[in-house]
Amino acid sequence: MNPILAEIYSTVIPSAPYVIAAYALIWIILLVYVVIIMRGNQKAQKQMMLLEEQLAELKAGK
Amino acid sequence: MGKSKGASPKLPEVGQWPDKIAPAVAIAGIVLTTLGFLMAFFYVPPVAGAAVDGVELIGGMMVANKLLISQKIFYFHMPVAMVSFVALAFSCYYGVRFLMTREWRYDTCSAIAIEIALVFVVATMATGEMWTRFEWGVWWTWEPRLTTYLVLMLIVIAYFVLRSAVDEPERRGVFCSVIAIIATIDVPICFAITRLIPSSIHPVVLREGGMSGEMGMCVALVAAGMFCIGFALYRARFGQVRLAQRVEAMKESLED
Amino acid sequence: MADRKKEKLQESGRSAICARPSTFAQYKTLLMKDLKQEFRTKDMIVSMGIYAVLVIVVFGVALSFAKPGSEFLEVSGGLLWSLVVFTSLLGLNRSFSHEMENGCMEGMLLAPLDRGAVFLAKMTSNVVFLLIVEVVAVPLYWLFFSSYATPADTAWMMIIPLLVGTVGIAGIGTLLSTITTRTRGKDVLLALLFVPVIFPLLYACVSATTAVLIGGDVVADTLMVSLVLAVGYDVIMILASWILYEFVVSA
Repeated sequence: MNPILAEIYSTVIPSAPYVIAAYALIWIILLVYVVIIMRGNQKAQKQMMLLEEQLAELKAGK
Repeated sequence: MGKSKGASPKLPEVGQWPDKIAPAVAIAGIVLTTLGFLMAFFYVPPVAGAAVDGVELIGGMMVANKLLISQKIFYFHMPVAMVSFVALAFSCYYGVRFLMTREWRYDTCSAIAIEIALVFVVATMATGEMWTRFEWGVWWTWEPRLTTYLVLMLIVIAYFVLRSAVDEPERRGVFCSVIAIIATIDVPICFAITRLIPSSIHPVVLREGGMSGEMGMCVALVAAGMFCIGFALYRARFGQVRLAQRVEAMKESLED
Repeated sequence: MADRKKEKLQESGRSAICARPSTFAQYKTLLMKDLKQEFRTKDMIVSMGIYAVLVIVVFGVALSFAKPGSEFLEVSGGLLWSLVVFTSLLGLNRSFSHEMENGCMEGMLLAPLDRGAVFLAKMTSNVVFLLIVEVVAVPLYWLFFSSYATPADTAWMMIIPLLVGTVGIAGIGTLLSTITTRTRGKDVLLALLFVPVIFPLLYACVSATTAVLIGGDVVADTLMVSLVLAVGYDVIMILASWILYEFVVSA
């Protein structure tokens, strides 16, 4: 590769980790939030099931 | 988001029109950001940095500068920052609605909007940090925009600490709405002040030009995508929180 | 005007009901109450003053190995403001603890007072206490650090940013301390909310103070812009606090 071209592209390789990290971090942060939402949803669903069972018991008891 | 004007205001609730379009919007957001990503790397030409001694022909263009790839971070950094601020403004809007109507739903909406703001602020900070680290060689510098976002992040974190520190729900709603409003007022002032005061003491590193048409288009595309994603996340979180609230209410009524 | 008319009507009807005092009278009464309460015991002012001296001692230790020369002027404005911020945090924390102690707050809210007057009275008393402490602490600060560097002739103009800053700190601080006294972990929470919210004002005031201390060409450039921005912050934030105070205090 000729020296001028090398200099033109000189920042590409050193900056690559930072660029990749920046893009990865955005998606990781958003993904973490999605996971939090999904876990909250699962927890609520589980509790809902328990409540339904309890309700059924109450009805059977009456 | 689910606001309607009339004699009896309809409260935002799961299953209203925003939820009907939310899946489509989420897909649109993913498609748009992917397109923006491809555009940023393959369509928009890299920004020129410092001049080199010599000219080279690359792809039919005469290039006499270093080509900066680190600037590609900007195409996602700025849209994410825009979404975070809009989310904060929504939180302020719902805070005002809560103070006016004392409807719990608005407090929930305000809290979720500010949560979205926090997520996007963190993303903004992360991308900004990466760029700062490479271009300026430091992890932190007191540059106006960085400072503004740090302050914004600290206020939002304080908001959540406050939220967990008040037990009575009525009081919590009022206090949190007030802080959401104060934060929304404070952040633009913070930006203006850090920007307008001439830093004779600390020189501000300025390294930016105007945006070319292609760059603007790319930013607009990603911004549209990010707004869609923010909206979809908001609705998803809203649905989840509402479900949790309904479960809680049911628990209480069963215990009685 | 409306109050006057009511008064006249009541006089002519020989009613025993007292007329509602004007907002200014309410403000004056509330302010005098705060001032009297404080000057009887002086515990808040004294503890703030001692705290300020302690902060100065900490600064002294921090700088003791640096032995700065004329460059001290560049940091001294900032140090002075951190002194003000820490001291006012202490004062703001205390300013509402009196009210919460004997159910004073409930009594005040039961009275048909204008909430805006409550806010303004509390803010004014905070300004007064802060200014009293500053009158002691700022000369002390210079006394302790005068060996490092002599400020420029324009240093007396420091009074302006100090005044503007104190008013702003008291304004937003009154709102925030009303919020945080009724939460768990009051003191920490006040600091958490107060510091980021006050940040723009602090930035402007530090810039103005530093410009005044260094003197020369910087004064004209920086001082005016900083002061205008600081005053703008004060006006916007005090207006916002004044409007929002009604909701906060009755929650």
